Formats: sequence, structure tokens, C-alpha cells
Amino acid sequence: MKYAYFPGCSIHTTAREYGVSSQAVSKVLGIELVEIPDWNCCGAMDAVYAYNPLLSISLSARNLALAEKMKMDIVTLCSACFFTLSRANKLLHEDSELKGKVDKLLTESGLQYSGEVKVRHYLDVLLNDVGLENISKNVKVKLDGLKVAPYYGCMLIRPPNVVNFDDPEHPTSLDKIVEAIGGKNVDYMYKTRCCGASLGLTEADVMMGMTKDLLLEAKNSNADCIVVPCPLCHLNMDAKQKSIESTFDVKIGIPIVFFTQLMGVAFGISPKELALDKNCVSTDKLFKQLHA
Amino acid sequence: MKANNKHAAANDRHVITAQMLDKTFLAEVMKMKGGQDVQDCIQCGVCAGSCFASWAMDFTPMQIVRMLHLGMKETVLSSSTIWVCASCYTCATRCPRGLDIPMIMSGLKNIAIKENIPAKIQIKPKFHKSFADIVQKYGRIHEPELFLKISNKTAPKTMMQDAVFGLTLLRKGKLKLKAPKVEQKAQWSSLFKNASKEGAQ
Amino acid sequence: MNPEPKIGVYICRCGCDKEGNISATVDVEKLKEAAAAMPGVKAAEVYEFVCSNPGQQMIRDGIKQHKLNRIVVAACSPRMHLETFRRNVKQEGLNPYLLEIANIREQCSWIHEDRKLATIKAIDLVGRAVERARNLKPLEEKTVKVNRDALVIGGGIAGINASIELADKGFQVYLVEKGPSVGGHMAQLGKTFPTLDCSSCIITPKMVYVAQHPLIKILSLSEVTKVEGMPGNYKITITKRPRSVDASKCTACGECSRKCPVTVKSEFEVGMGQRKAIYQPFRQAVPSAYYIDREHCLYFTKGICKVCQKFCKASAVDFTQQEETIELNVGAIVVSTGYELLDPHYVKQYSYGLHPDIVTHLQFERLLVQGLHRPSTGEQPKKIAFILCVGSRMTQNGVGNGNGNGNGEEGDACEYCCNIGCMNAIKEAYVFQKEVPDADPWVFYTDIRAHGKGYEEFYARLRNHGVRFVRGRTAEVMPHNGSLRVRAADTLLGLPIEEDFDMVVLSAGLTPSQGTDNLARMVGIHTGSDGFFLERHHKLRPVDTQREGVYACGCALGPKDIRETITESMAAASHVASFLGKGEVAVSSEVAIIDDKKCDNCEKCITICPARAIVKTSETHVEINPMSCIGCGICVPVCPKNAIDLNHNTEAQLMGQIRGNPPKEDLSPKIVAFIEKNTAYAAADLAGQTRSQYGANVRIVSVPSVGRVGLKHMLQVFASGADGVALIEGEDSSFTGDKVREHLTRLKKELQPYGIESLRLVSTTTTIPQYPKMVETFEVFNSRLFKMGPLSPKVRSEIEKKLKEVQ
Repeated sequence: MKYAYFPGCSIHTTAREYGVSSQAVSKVLGIELVEIPDWNCCGAMDAVYAYNPLLSISLSARNLALAEKMKMDIVTLCSACFFTLSRANKLLHEDSELKGKVDKLLTESGLQYSGEVKVRHYLDVLLNDVGLENISKNVKVKLDGLKVAPYYGCMLIRPPNVVNFDDPEHPTSLDKIVEAIGGKNVDYMYKTRCCGASLGLTEADVMMGMTKDLLLEAKNSNADCIVVPCPLCHLNMDAKQKSIESTFDVKIGIPIVFFTQLMGVAFGISPKELALDKNCVSTDKLFKQLHA
Repeated sequence: MKANNKHAAANDRHVITAQMLDKTFLAEVMKMKGGQDVQDCIQCGVCAGSCFASWAMDFTPMQIVRMLHLGMKETVLSSSTIWVCASCYTCATRCPRGLDIPMIMSGLKNIAIKENIPAKIQIKPKFHKSFADIVQKYGRIHEPELFLKISNKTAPKTMMQDAVFGLTLLRKGKLKLKAPKVEQKAQWSSLFKNASKEGAQ
Repeated sequence: MNPEPKIGVYICRCGCDKEGNISATVDVEKLKEAAAAMPGVKAAEVYEFVCSNPGQQMIRDGIKQHKLNRIVVAACSPRMHLETFRRNVKQEGLNPYLLEIANIREQCSWIHEDRKLATIKAIDLVGRAVERARNLKPLEEKTVKVNRDALVIGGGIAGINASIELADKGFQVYLVEKGPSVGGHMAQLGKTFPTLDCSSCIITPKMVYVAQHPLIKILSLSEVTKVEGMPGNYKITITKRPRSVDASKCTACGECSRKCPVTVKSEFEVGMGQRKAIYQPFRQAVPSAYYIDREHCLYFTKGICKVCQKFCKASAVDFTQQEETIELNVGAIVVSTGYELLDPHYVKQYSYGLHPDIVTHLQFERLLVQGLHRPSTGEQPKKIAFILCVGSRMTQNGVGNGNGNGNGEEGDACEYCCNIGCMNAIKEAYVFQKEVPDADPWVFYTDIRAHGKGYEEFYARLRNHGVRFVRGRTAEVMPHNGSLRVRAADTLLGLPIEEDFDMVVLSAGLTPSQGTDNLARMVGIHTGSDGFFLERHHKLRPVDTQREGVYACGCALGPKDIRETITESMAAASHVASFLGKGEVAVSSEVAIIDDKKCDNCEKCITICPARAIVKTSETHVEINPMSCIGCGICVPVCPKNAIDLNHNTEAQLMGQIRGNPPKEDLSPKIVAFIEKNTAYAAADLAGQTRSQYGANVRIVSVPSVGRVGLKHMLQVFASGADGVALIEGEDSSFTGDKVREHLTRLKKELQPYGIESLRLVSTTTTIPQYPKMVETFEVFNSRLFKMGPLSPKVRSEIEKKLKEVQ
């Protein structure tokens, strides 16, 4: 199973744990993530689009063209990149005038995109290409009823006509992964509520207000940890957790792990290989009894 | 006595009159991607109900669309709503008329940036241009530079907090001081420049 | 021996002197002069109002005086006074089919302003009418006896009431119902709005009446599988499923049900209760006999049990019953198939199916009737959220998802308002309050629709009763810790509201019943864009369908309340009675006829007939059924042996009208427009009524369908001086747009060898309000022909010669 891997800007920086743990998990499952050579920023959803819509689509199109050259589908870890690339792909298919403009720009740079690439999230690969059975087969460490709150966020599941992956209101993909590796899903209300996304960079107060509700709800549902599929959600919920605690004078203290980190733990991969030390809210206590 | 109603910026008689309404604005909105269906809105309020950031907005998404119908350009483009929208798509997934509200908000941001209309919150317009500038330079985002560019020098306390945050990330190895570099420099540069120019028209 | 045609031409000024609707533009004196000079014309008169008594008298006098046997009236559109003029000549002993009307008002004087041009055109139109009149033949007005029985499809309140109305009027009614009992959804309701009548109390007496009425036969467990025949004489095939219980013996004691070991979810209780495999859907069921659900019965699935038979004291259980086929002859059909609920699973944010206390409004009705309790705990709910517009008023189900019509496709929703959701929720809130002390109902609405009699007052009363209303379409319902978290924006305040409830009631959209499309096809009627059956005319014929003798009423036509349903059922019954009451129905004589001597049984006509009216009765005989023939004439040019002719639009009549009596000087280029005589003709009239303008070189010839026009006619048109031909068909014609285009393409190809450029032909379809499209077609065609120039005289004379060759 080989894929054109689009890491996204945060994988080598703020979401380093995600990239590292995904590579480790991929090795176990026989997935080969071939990083797209010289990939560029996808446009980051709204960030570039609000500034210049055509520019944003062109940025995504360059990556699609590079992947098409590799004759593979794009797989990404970041939900925002997943959405941005998917949307650009969809618009290029639907709007022939737009495609014409973008084709011209790509040609001027020695590239071309004929529309053959599919954009997929890593979770999609795990569920549909690897399969839950194969995932379960590789579990070596019992998670012993670890109570996990699966958090989906936004772009992984919405809008359904762009990302077309899981149910936008009652998704189950993360739940299935958690179960497959021996964890216990905690039922709580806000698993699809927005954390605030890029507001964390620009209107931190607003983001914190939104994320606080998610964290408290997960805590009140007795979750031991929250698993996430997106670097920005992770940043807001993990790196900013302390700020949220002090701003709103609440105690949260819930570790936020990427689902690939949790999978890695279940597979018996060492904490170092999963970059568990990079999570801001410590995961030590959580996995003490589980580490081999 | 100064009017307290949040629309009071209207006119000195504190009423909405046809003079204040810009029909060309609605036409402009309907031309942009996502805006073509804006007249279909029946003001049901599912978007306002679904928006988990609406508490931080001066107008709910529904009210923004209402104002688009009327052509209240100034009020819409200077609202905090369009900048606080996180593009989470919860509203659009439930809209009974299929309006792509996040795309409309993006489009409105675009107009506000182009026409240099100040928002009630200062950071946002700078964010988009700063982000694009950095991506132009390096092909990918460079967080430290972004932090610096969007910092509001008039809010020293926030600057301090951001700096502390940056240091935390740096210590954890989650921030690279060295900027990334795109390899195909010439190709990249020309694509970015041409796309920018073409898109700005 | 046909007597020599003696034609009288009567020209109307349509007003006084030079101010009349016609005389203002058309020089009627000149027209009279020209008409008098046409061959066969024995009398030509002008009068102010030919349709008036003196005008009619003038015609009758003319017939007497000049022994006229053909009449041409040059006046307003035949759609105005054709029947009047026909009755008039009949009075004088002349067959009504020997009258022809030249439309020189809507299609001439009202279109053109130039007096000279309008007069030239009027002369041409009258000249054509005279030639057609010359060839007219007398026809009989036929009637056929109708069967006085009626079929009602669907046993809900609409069908029940229509049956009662008809039976009371003396008609035999067959009431076909799919399920084991009549009653429909109304039998499932508790109280009704706004009077708070008990629904069962209203409907059960009617159900009993239907069961006991000597003229009503209920066919339960039955479905219509075939409809043949024609209006007034329909042959219906019905499949009746086996009840497995002898209805004549069953006393409905219920012992079988008590002993039956199989329990399943009850359809009548919409899942809020259970039934056995042998059951009665509800206590007041009609027929009251029990019914075995063979899909769950242990005997039919595994060959064991039979406990019901053991305990039945009446020996009514009969496992040997088979499916029956029943054939009926009826004169009229009433479609009253009701509605279904939209499946709220499709509106995912309301989490229907993820918690037992989230129910539809119909399920809630059943809970109210049973004694209100939470399905999850069995306890009384204290706080209930009523959520309106679930799946309704949606053009899309979220961004970019197409909209079905509520028939169960992915992403489905209804664009229309369900009509009863608001009032039903308000009523349910009220009943909830009456039943539960400290009840706290909240209604989340988009717009409160309280349109009917007493509705607004009911709404006001309930607001005073402490029912809380929140204006905002609900964003989401989340099951949470045993209760249901509802979130909506109070749009009037601009703030979100979140609250936990014991139960959530979803006012689901109403959709057409399953099988609507199939039934429509079977019966030969249409459905509208909303999926419900389509009425003939939105305002003037709300219970008629496109097919004569077929009517519809109730929610089968679209969601509505009980009062409107009853009203429609009465209207439908009244229309059936009018239709069947006379005992006979008029059959058009304007049908096609085959000349056996010329026919060689090639069957080309059979294939092409849109009404399936032509049949092969033996190896050597093809016949046209005059009852089924719709008189479109499409078969006529298709016959390679010219064996078919069409009454009242015969070859002689049409060719005569095409040749006409051309005026001495005429316009060039000249366009002849063949216009379908119903819808397209009405559109042309409407163009005149609205004083639209197009060239006076356009001469309209009315045909039953443009399919009536073949190569021979086209050649004659060009030979007789036309430079361009337009074919315009009504959009609701059986000769559909696709067929019209095919026909045009074929004609163009056939005309090419004669030197006629394909650009000299044009076709389009139109609806009545689309007359501007017709006008535009003429104008565009005109400018094209101006550029092309008139047809070359050489080509024209060649065609005249070759006309002798084509039969």
C-alpha cells in the first residue's frame, strides 16, 4: 500500500508527534507513505483563500499535480489539509473555467493536473485499505479498558459533499479504531464540535472559550484521554490547555493524543518512537502501566 | 442620547433607509463562489443555532445573510462575525437551502481585505496577508515568523503570552527557528506571482 | 352524391363601423369583396357582432335564402364561440361540422397595426377557410354508454368520504385499500386541531357506514395492478392478498391474537407498540376480521404452531387462502392514496433512531392515545421539545446535496411546507399539558402557519396557556445522560438556546405514498415536481386529473388538513357524479379511419399511435378503435399507402386549407405556421389578447398535431407560395418535444432533394403562457428568411410538377 504523502506544514513542527507516530504505525501495518517531493503549503483552508481565492486553489493544484506525477493518491494526516486539497480538487472538477485558469498557471510552471488524483485522510486508509481486523491483529499491549474520548473536529467529516468520508453528525471512524485497538469509547456530546481552529492563532480568546467546553465535557464524561486526527485541534487542546485552565480557572488535566500515538502504544511501539514526550499535557501517568 | 441598538451606526435618524442599501454589493456577493444561492435563505436560523463561535460575534451568520439581502455593505464588512467564523462547516451541513456560509464569509473577508475595511478586531486582516507572504517566501508556513508578523504591538500582555507559548513549543522541539525552503524556487516563485496577479483581478 | 358546396362568408366587425376590434385594423369591406369573388361563395356579409342574435339570425337567413351548405365565419377565435355558431347552424338544419371559423381577430387584427397588411392577411386566412369549408363533410355527434360504477383507490378519510358521497348519490363504489383495514392515518390520530375533536370519534362512524352501505364494496388487502379501457368504461385488474381468515366467519373476539406466540412491532402504533402475527391493526378496524402476517407467522415461515386455528371458536382461520385476481368494470376512478412520513433519519442532526425518546409526531400521537409515557423509561415526560419543519422547506439537505422529493433517496428532503406541522405540534403541546401536571412544552419553529379556520385563535389560546415558542429552526438534538439536549438559535434575540428535554417530537415532512409513480403510470395521469399527483388546473380544476374520468383528492394531491381533505373528497365525488350521471359520455367523431382496400397491414401506424388506439384484429386486418383514438392524425402521413384519413381534418380539407385562395398581392417572404389546435393555438390567441406583434406574413393553419403534417403537405405549402414553414406543438401533447424534433429532422431530409433548404423549416413546443417564445420564434425565423430571400421560383415550379408524382 503506497501513497503520495502530503504532510502539511505542521507535521514537521507543531504536530511533530503526529508525523512521527504515523510513520511508526505505518511501518507496522505495511503502509508506505512516500512524501511528495517539494510539496508546498496547501493554502490552509481559509488562510490564503480569504486573501486570494484563485491563489489558494493554485497552491493546492500544485500538490495535486505533483502527486499525479507520482501516479498515486494523496494521503494526508491533517484534517485541514484534507479539506483544502479535497475542495480544490472538487472545484477543479466542477468549474471548467476555473480549471482553465489553473491549468494555464500550472503549465507556465511546467506542471499539469488532469484530475486523476483522489485526496484521502490517513484514517480512511486505515479503515478501508488496511481494515480493522488487520489493525487488531497487531495489538500487543492491552489498553485495559482505557477510557478514550474520540474527538473528530470539523474538516475530517464536514462538509459531506467535499470530504465524503464519515457521517457528518454521528461519525464512527475514530470510535472503530479505538475499539479495534482495545480502548473503550466514552460517549460525550461534543465530539464533532469545532475547537476554534485557526482562531487559536488570531483570536485566542475565542478559541479558548470554544475548546474549554470540549475539554470540560470530555472530562465530565470520565475520559482518560482524548484522541484527535488533526494538528490544529491538538495544538488548541494540548499546547493551550494550561492557558485555558488559568484563563477560566478550571482544572482539566486531560492528555490529548493523536490517534496514531494511541495505536502505536497498543502496537507496543516505544514512547520515543511515538514522540509521546512532545505532548504538552503529560501522558506519562496515563501510559505508565501500559508501557512494556 | 446616543443610540444603543447595535445597528445604530445606521444613520442619524436611527432607521434603515434605501439610501444606505447598496444593491451592487448583493450583486457582487452573488457573483462570488458560494454566493450565488444567497437569496434562497429563508432566515430559518439553523446556522445561528449551529454556530459555536456565535457568542463572540456581533451578528449571527443568519443576520449577516439578512444584511447581504438588504445590501448593508458597511455593517457587514466591518462586523466581527466574518473574522470570527472558523469555517467549521456545521452551519452549511445543515442549511436547508444549501448555502455555503463559510465560503460566503471567506468571500466577504476577501472584499474587506481588498477594500481595506477595518474590522473591529485588528489581527485578522493582517493574518491572511502575512500568511500568504510567508508561504510565498518559503513555500510553506514558518510559525515563528507568522507569530511575529501578526502580533499586535498595542497589546503587550498578549505579546508576552504568545512569546511564552512560542518558547514552550520551541523547548518541546515543536517549532523550528530555521525557515523551510522550497526547492524549485523559480518555478514556485513564478506560479505564486502569476496566480496572485490572476486572482487579484 | 355530394351536392355542390354553396359557401356563405360572414365577416364580423367586432364593434361598430371602423372602431370594432376587427374593423379598426382590417378593411372588412375589401375583405367582403375578395370573399365574394372566391369560387363557390354564394353570399358574403359584414356585421357588427356576428355572434349576437341578429348576427346569428343573419346567418340562418342566409342559409335559407341562398341554400347555403357551408358556412365560414370570419371573426374571433373559435375558442370563443365555436359551439354557439355550431348550435346556430344546426337550428337551421345544417350539420354543425359544416361550419369553419377564420380567426381574424386574435391571430390577425389584434396582432398587426398596418391596415393594408392586416387586410391582405385576413383575405388569405378567409381564403384558406373557404377552401377547407368546401371540403368539409357532415359528422355525427356520438355518445357511448358509461358504466355507472366508481373505483376509489385508497381507504383513508379521503377515500372513505368520497365513497360515502358517491354511494349516497346512488353509485356503486369499489373501495380498494392496500392494508387489512380502512382508516388510513386519520385513524392513528388522537385529537384533531383546532376543535380538539377526537379523530376516532369522527372517522369510526364513517368507517362503519362504509362497511354497511349496500352500494359500497370494500376490497381490503388489495392493490390495483392494471387499468385498461377508456373514460366511462375502465377495466380494472386488482390483486387481493389472502387474509388467511374467513372474514364472513370471524367475530373479532381476539382469542387467536391472545394465544399467538409471535410478537412484532405494530405498524399502526408506528413502532410504539406491538402486535401478534395474527392481528387486527386496531380495535375499530373495518373490515374487523383478523389478518395473518405471513412474513412472521410461524406456520407460514416454519410450518409449525397453528395455535390460532386451534383456539378459534368460529373456525375462521384458513391457511389455505390464496391470492385472488379481481376484474372490475367502472366508469370513473378516484385516486385517494394519502401520504407517508419523511424518514427523519435523513435529517441526521436530530439523532432520530439514536434514542428511543426522539419520536415523530405520528408516533407521539400514538403515545398520547396510549397514555403518554417516555418510550425509554415508561415514566411521564415533563419537558418536551416539539421541533417543526423536519425535512421540510428544504431545497437541499445541506450544502451541495441534491434534493429528492422525499421518496427515500439519500440526502432527501421536501421543498414544500407540510401544511399541518405547526398546528399539529401546537395541538400536541396542548394535549400534553392536559395529561401531565407541570407539563413544559416548547415549540421550536421557523414560521407558524395557522392558515385555516380557527387556527390563529387556537394558536393564540395556546400561547396564553404557557406553551413556550422559540423562533429558530433547531440546529441539533443530542442524546446526553438520559435526556435530550436541544440547541437552537432564538433568532428574534440573536442568541442560542440550549436545553435538556425528556422527549423530542419531530414534525416530519409529508411525502407521497409509496407506489405513487407506478400508480400514475398505470392510470395514465401525471405527478408534479413535488411527487404528488398533479391536478388538471391549479385553481379551476383542483380535483380533476389529466385523464377524463380520473379524479384525485386528499393528501394524494399534496399535504393538507382533514377539513380540506373532506372538501376535496366531496368535490371529487361531485365531479364523478357529473361525469357518470348522464349515463353516457360524448365521443369525438374527429377520429382516424382506415380504408381497408388500401391497407397492406404494414403496421407502421400501430407503432406510431401515441394512444395505442390502433390494433391488429387479425393477420389481415388493422383497425382503429374510435373510442381510444385521440384524433391527433400522426398516423395519416405515416401510412405508405395513404390508407388513413382523419375526420374533420381530412387530406382534402388540409390540402385545401394549404392551397387556399391566395390574395392577388401578398407579402414576401411568407411563413405558414402549422399550430397544434389546443395548447399551441391557445398560446397564439394569448399573443393576440396581449397585443403582441409579429409579422403579417405569418399565416396560421390549425392542425390536431404537427405530426399530422407530412411530406406531401409540406410540398404543397411551398408550391402554394410559402417560403418558410413553422411547426408548433403544445408541450403537453402526446407528440412530445423529442418526437417533434425527430419529425422536423425527417421532413428536412425528405425536402432536401426538392431543393428546399433545411433552414426554411423550424419547430418548437410551447405552453400557453409561453406565447412570447412563439412570437420570438416567428420574429427570428422572419429575419432569417429575409436574409435567405424567397424560395426560388424555379424550385417552386419544379415542386408543383413533382406533386403529381407523390401520391
